[in-house]
Amino acid sequence: MIRRVIKRLWGVLPVVFGVLLLTFLLLHLVPGDPVDVMLGESAAVADRAQLRAELGLDQSLPVQFVQYLQHLAHGDFGRSIHSGQAVSSLLAERLPATLKLAMLALLIALLVGLPLGILAALRARHWPDTVATLFSLSLSAMPHFWLGPLLMLLFGLWLGWLPISGMTPASAIILPALTLGFGLSAILTRMTRASLLEVLSEDFVRTARAKGLSESHVILRHALRAALLPVVTVVGLQMGSLLAGTVITETVFGWDGLGRLLVESIEKRDYPVTQACVLVIALTYVLVNLVTDIAYQRLDPRVRLS
Amino acid sequence: MALVLSSCTPSAPDTAVHMGLAQAPVNLDPRMATDAASARVNRLLYQALVRFDAHARPQPALADWQQLAADHYRFHLLKPVPRFHDGSAMTAHDVVATYQSMLKPGASPLAAEFSHIRKVWAMDDDTIDFTLDAADPEFPARLIIGILPAHLIAAGHDFSRQPVGSGPLAFVRWRGPLVLQRQSDGQRYVLEEVKDPTVRVLKLVRGEIDLLAGDLPPELLVYLQTQPALKVEHTQGANFSYLGFNLQDPLLANPKVRQAIAHAIDRPAIVRLALVPDSRLAGAILPPEHWAGNASLTPYAHDPQLARQLLQEAGVHLPLTLVYKTSTDAQRVRLATILQAQMREAGIDLQIRSLDWGTFFDDIRQGHFQMYSLNWVGIRTPDIYRLAFHSASVPPLGANRGRLQDAELDALIDQRDWPAATQRIHALLPYVPLWYEGQFVAMRRGLYHYTLAADGNWDGLITVTRNSKNDHAD
Repeated sequence: MIRRVIKRLWGVLPVVFGVLLLTFLLLHLVPGDPVDVMLGESAAVADRAQLRAELGLDQSLPVQFVQYLQHLAHGDFGRSIHSGQAVSSLLAERLPATLKLAMLALLIALLVGLPLGILAALRARHWPDTVATLFSLSLSAMPHFWLGPLLMLLFGLWLGWLPISGMTPASAIILPALTLGFGLSAILTRMTRASLLEVLSEDFVRTARAKGLSESHVILRHALRAALLPVVTVVGLQMGSLLAGTVITETVFGWDGLGRLLVESIEKRDYPVTQACVLVIALTYVLVNLVTDIAYQRLDPRVRLS
Repeated sequence: MALVLSSCTPSAPDTAVHMGLAQAPVNLDPRMATDAASARVNRLLYQALVRFDAHARPQPALADWQQLAADHYRFHLLKPVPRFHDGSAMTAHDVVATYQSMLKPGASPLAAEFSHIRKVWAMDDDTIDFTLDAADPEFPARLIIGILPAHLIAAGHDFSRQPVGSGPLAFVRWRGPLVLQRQSDGQRYVLEEVKDPTVRVLKLVRGEIDLLAGDLPPELLVYLQTQPALKVEHTQGANFSYLGFNLQDPLLANPKVRQAIAHAIDRPAIVRLALVPDSRLAGAILPPEHWAGNASLTPYAHDPQLARQLLQEAGVHLPLTLVYKTSTDAQRVRLATILQAQMREAGIDLQIRSLDWGTFFDDIRQGHFQMYSLNWVGIRTPDIYRLAFHSASVPPLGANRGRLQDAELDALIDQRDWPAATQRIHALLPYVPLWYEGQFVAMRRGLYHYTLAADGNWDGLITVTRNSKNDHAD
């Protein structure tokens, strides 16, 4: 098992290299110069040249990329071009906030999506199914930048229950987590419903019922376990999307996480910070997928890591 | 859940004034700051040698001055000389250290402004002398850099994140929001970045922030004016909006085409219907009340028929297709669509390209545009005309983004003949002057004495007071 995991981890390396190379090229090829952003237009040409040299931007792109990889191999993400802070310390400040938000969003998605999906499957083509379907379709159709302000209006302004945005008080996490979580719960509802409906028509479920087991036992112990296999895959894939999704949600809600840091760094052409943020998000994607595969194997012994 | 519940427990009342910012400051070292938000905060944290009156003439702030020769100025610190926020007394040596530290190559993006300083030295604890490489009658107006303590400069202190000045507000902390404290009475301020204008407005209405100054589209301002818990004040502004042309473009190099575009735009209608209150038409970068302003410039009147006629005289086949670049800011895009509709009437098909700020600004700097729109913010001296229009200021040497080359204008700028220079610029039309957008503050009732500034600075925080007893009385 451990051997297989290590083998998979080795397989991650080309993916990470590809992400690094693509991010580096895209960042350096799109128009926009960090020196212009930092110095404005009044700065002397000599000062521009000096800053460019200090930042290493006067080197050719291949040289810059190799230097970046060398530093990365030593665990050095570099320093923010704008604030001068070590990128690793910026990540250490911002990543926990994003993980906290993503975890709570996932929890909300599971708490809403699974029961609704189960209910919709058990009462298929009846009104609970219609309500659950309508709910999930509506939520999945709403982009975060629209759903977020709607929730702000409802819970922040009209009901006055929760803060509109920001990091404090602690309850400020609820609205961004709901925004992220509702989108995912819609997918989970649909997935759980479809999967459970399929499993409920399987022979082993009929056998379990024929054995005289209670309906709740049949559903929870037999049908649901099998139905959750594809759901686990979706949760794993969506966990990565949750991290990427925070880019918009964190900006709307003023949540000082990785997503907001990424947006700010792109605006300022702060190359080291952007590269580090993209790398962390990509790594999280890959690792979550690996964990999903392992969980999948646990749930279904027929599956083997290859 | 425990965390959430803990937030519901009663806590001490928050008496700080919370201000919502569209853009957080980037750098609180006045030698390094180039963005508007940093400059506005630095005005609160530091004091400079000079300030400006209502006509933008330099006035003594920390020091008065004598011009001993065309290239020699002497400044005397005024009594009482203030103390820095770390308790040390300010002397002439701090002034010298501040300016000397900027003159080192690569030390400051603002150094070009001071590149003609030959020497700066302290005659005694209260007297500073500057000698220049060339005569500069506007030299005192340049000395608006906040003064830093010499001992901290020598120690390599990081002023960008931990500023130590002598201004009316002192730095407290900057982790997330920026927290400042008024020296006179300990009143605290929390400056919080909230990028989305709708979210800023919601936070103000709910009371999570106490005031907003500028940076809102007009419809949100109208909404705020209907809120009983809020009050909105506004005044005329001095920040200049313009439509810029690329004069190297074969079509736009023709003055008749530029004039046609100027006549195609109904600026009064836009100012009346699509901008915040107290916005007014502009004729030049510096407003008429500025000592170098020019109130005699005849505006290009809205006349679509004349615009068509000018285009035909220029030999252009209609419709004329032009590309207009702007940022992704919602209000900017909206104004672009208004311009597009107005120009259609004159036979101009305006293609809008909305780009992220970095890409947009880089395109403008590189000359990759036909038309664009931008603002000049916080301009105080007529040197802006050199920076924006002199032949020697084509990027990367300056901000002559339209690549205007005119020997007559260069001579007028070199002679500092501002009335003639502004007249010449008006005739050449490298920009269509649009408007000076009004300035406003929206704040919760119970806040008083926030004085608005024409350039949108936040000096009103120095005087703002909170009276919780009168929260709903005014």
